[in-house]
Amino acid sequence: MTVPDHHDHDHDHDHDHDHTHPGVTKDEEPYGYYATLELAVRELLIEAGLITADEHRRQIEILDSRSPVLGAKVVARAWTDPEFKKRLLADGSAACEELGITMYDGTHLIVHENTDQVHNMVVCTLCSCYPRPVLGLPPDWYKNKQYRARAVKEPRAVLKEFGTTIPDQVSIHVHDSNANMRYLILPLRPAGTEHLTEAELADLVTRDAMIGVTVVKSSLVQTNRGQA
Amino acid sequence: MNSTEGLISHLPNDIGGKDADAINMEEHPMLPWEKRCHALLDLLATHQIVNFEERRRGVENLGTEIIGKLTFYERLMISSVNIMLEKRILTPDQIANKTKEISERK
Repeated sequence: MTVPDHHDHDHDHDHDHDHTHPGVTKDEEPYGYYATLELAVRELLIEAGLITADEHRRQIEILDSRSPVLGAKVVARAWTDPEFKKRLLADGSAACEELGITMYDGTHLIVHENTDQVHNMVVCTLCSCYPRPVLGLPPDWYKNKQYRARAVKEPRAVLKEFGTTIPDQVSIHVHDSNANMRYLILPLRPAGTEHLTEAELADLVTRDAMIGVTVVKSSLVQTNRGQA
Repeated sequence: MNSTEGLISHLPNDIGGKDADAINMEEHPMLPWEKRCHALLDLLATHQIVNFEERRRGVENLGTEIIGKLTFYERLMISSVNIMLEKRILTPDQIANKTKEISERK
């Protein structure tokens, strides 16, 4: 790392200390080396006219607006509208945009459908590529070495750690994401959900099922209804 | 495979298929600076200042030890800064002066 540290005192910011870093938000104290570096770089790029402060604020708003709720909406629509499902499997990005979900990061979304013969799951072995426009930010385990290393080698063992057992006769396809192509799994619609509305179906769909490490269960509906 | 072949046949990030421990399912809430960092990294990519591939190469260049010790966003931040220094979009002096200015703000 070639970035110099110009603090007047050499220390690791991981410890408690009584000085503050004025001019920055107080939502995290101490304001550490990396947070200061981020702010410094951002301000320099704004001063150079390469980015704007408005763009940065807007990007945070976009991040806040993306969550698995969007992916669940896509899945529920595909379960209830066969024509939409065809379009979704043919071109994930275009179909999502029909529902107002833009691929803001310029990536292309590819949707793989789970069937009685094939179970799909997603990984990014090299880093943390993830379908953020439809699922928001990835969970920590998705970015960690253990999942990235093992998902492509022993997917059944990995799935078991998530409490998911896929019958031996069902093939497992693991999709390794990259910078341009992101994957979303269309889970199997659980049996016994024929009477549910699209919105009720969306409530069943979890983030992990859309990554493919779990399956969608109909029992959640009964639980939710029991609470309602 | 001899003792050094494994070190050069795979870059530090290229871990698909390697042995690893059980998956740690614990999740931590995103820190405010991490979110700001994420948004900044997105803008760097959008404006082609540092794209995804460059950022990943920057992480690989940090080497296994640093990759193992830094957190996810720390790695990406340092990687992106190094790429910007390499491209002469920023200079070490600019960053040093700015971080000093930030820490002295009243």
